[in-house]
Amino acid sequence: MKIKPEDSLKIENIVASAKVTDYLDLPALASQIKDAEYNKKRFPGVVIRMQNPKIAALVFGSGKVVLTGAKSIESLSEGLEILGNLLRGLNIDIPQKLSYKIQNIVTSADLGSGINLNKIAVGFNLDRIEYEPEQFPGLVYRLENPKVVVLLFGSGKLIITGGKEPEDARKAVQKILNDLKNLGLL
Amino acid sequence: MQEVEKLKILQNEREALKNRLKERVKEHEKKAEDHTETVCPECGSRQLVHDYERAELVCQSCGLVIDDDFIDRGPEWRAFDHDQRMKRSRVGAPMTFTIHDKGLSTMIDWRNRDSYGRAISSKNRAQLYRLRKWQRRIRVSNATERNLAFALSELDRMASALGLPRNVRETAAVVYRDAVDKNLIRGRSIEGVAAAALYAACRQCSVPRTLDEIAEVSRVSRKEIGRTYRFISRELGLKLLPTSPIDYVPRFCSGLNLKGEVQSRAVEILRQAGERELTSGRGPTGVAAAAIYISSILGGERRTQREVAEVAGVTEVTIRNRYKELAEKLDIEIIL
Repeated sequence: MKIKPEDSLKIENIVASAKVTDYLDLPALASQIKDAEYNKKRFPGVVIRMQNPKIAALVFGSGKVVLTGAKSIESLSEGLEILGNLLRGLNIDIPQKLSYKIQNIVTSADLGSGINLNKIAVGFNLDRIEYEPEQFPGLVYRLENPKVVVLLFGSGKLIITGGKEPEDARKAVQKILNDLKNLGLL
Repeated sequence: MQEVEKLKILQNEREALKNRLKERVKEHEKKAEDHTETVCPECGSRQLVHDYERAELVCQSCGLVIDDDFIDRGPEWRAFDHDQRMKRSRVGAPMTFTIHDKGLSTMIDWRNRDSYGRAISSKNRAQLYRLRKWQRRIRVSNATERNLAFALSELDRMASALGLPRNVRETAAVVYRDAVDKNLIRGRSIEGVAAAALYAACRQCSVPRTLDEIAEVSRVSRKEIGRTYRFISRELGLKLLPTSPIDYVPRFCSGLNLKGEVQSRAVEILRQAGERELTSGRGPTGVAAAAIYISSILGGERRTQREVAEVAGVTEVTIRNRYKELAEKLDIEIIL
């Protein structure tokens, strides 16, 4: 027995935002922290890349931070902790308890067998899908509930993006499996 | 569409007129003589023939002339070429979506002649010239219409450059007008939406052009056209199915000077590939190119991958990958 599609779910990326303070002096920050990138012409924020957990933090002058690259929610809070300590080390006033908001979760999944996108394009509700092999090899399926966008590929692999909770991806996969089974395409 | 409807209404009117006329003739005949038109009063045969040259209704079996001097209800005049037809025609051009006012505006003739065909005096000529100028200027009344006129001329230019037939241009104009009505142009370039409308129209009429081909004749990038196309097709609910590689075969084949035999074999290969689900998630142009490449070899009219690639607008690598896939899965043996 192959692994069930629901079990093949794997979080590939989490993007979260947080506000740590009201103002940050970016040039000073960039010069004091090693591993910090700051190139104002190319990107208006300081990029701090952590190795463990592997997360990139984009720090902006407004005191807002975007954390990206996290593979799990635990590592996300860990990364925020590290960043907080780093900034506190520079004598910047930062609250002890930092909260963040998840903006996007990207999950991959595998249906276990190849699917015929042409047939899906014909069978599914045409309002919700988009399949233009000339422009992109995947079929784009916009779900209403949970509000995510799923990219289906001919190999049977899926990318679920736009979710705010890890549970969204599971719901989406279940819904798609249902739809496919109803059409007899799996 | 509009033309067809117009024609239908005209036909109905003509039919009604005909019927009325027929009825009157019948009444007249009934009064004069109690006989039906369909049966010969002499021999009872139903084989009656209208002889239009002599305007007589003749019984084919006994030769009796039943009616004479009847009205010819055929077309008014015969016309053998465009010039003659234009001379005989008393109506204007049909309505079209490709002109911003649907071709319903009036024009002042460029000839300086009045309705009797006399030359216009030099005193009035200047006035006529001014009238003509203002007529031209007033045709487009506001900015919206000006934009529409610009977009439609852009559509026409691109369609001409691609050699697209009239029905595609009409469809493209309709798609563009729908987009305008739904306020989809806001924030997008007119050229981009026009190009996307043309792309959609080509697909709707199943003569697909690739985005690259459209991008070549437009002032917008392929990416922008694709993005705009996706947007308008979603907003307008165009519901276009993905293009079939088969639709590209005739065009690519003629671009490569291939025989019809090779073409039909390529179509056959693609049909089998479609059944075996080999085209899922593959670009239609690439699959079509590979099928043509295979069938050109099988048909003994070999074209190189580069030649095929150039016509189809894909890379040689794509053809190589697709053709290996097709040959393997469909059990086609290729001897180079």
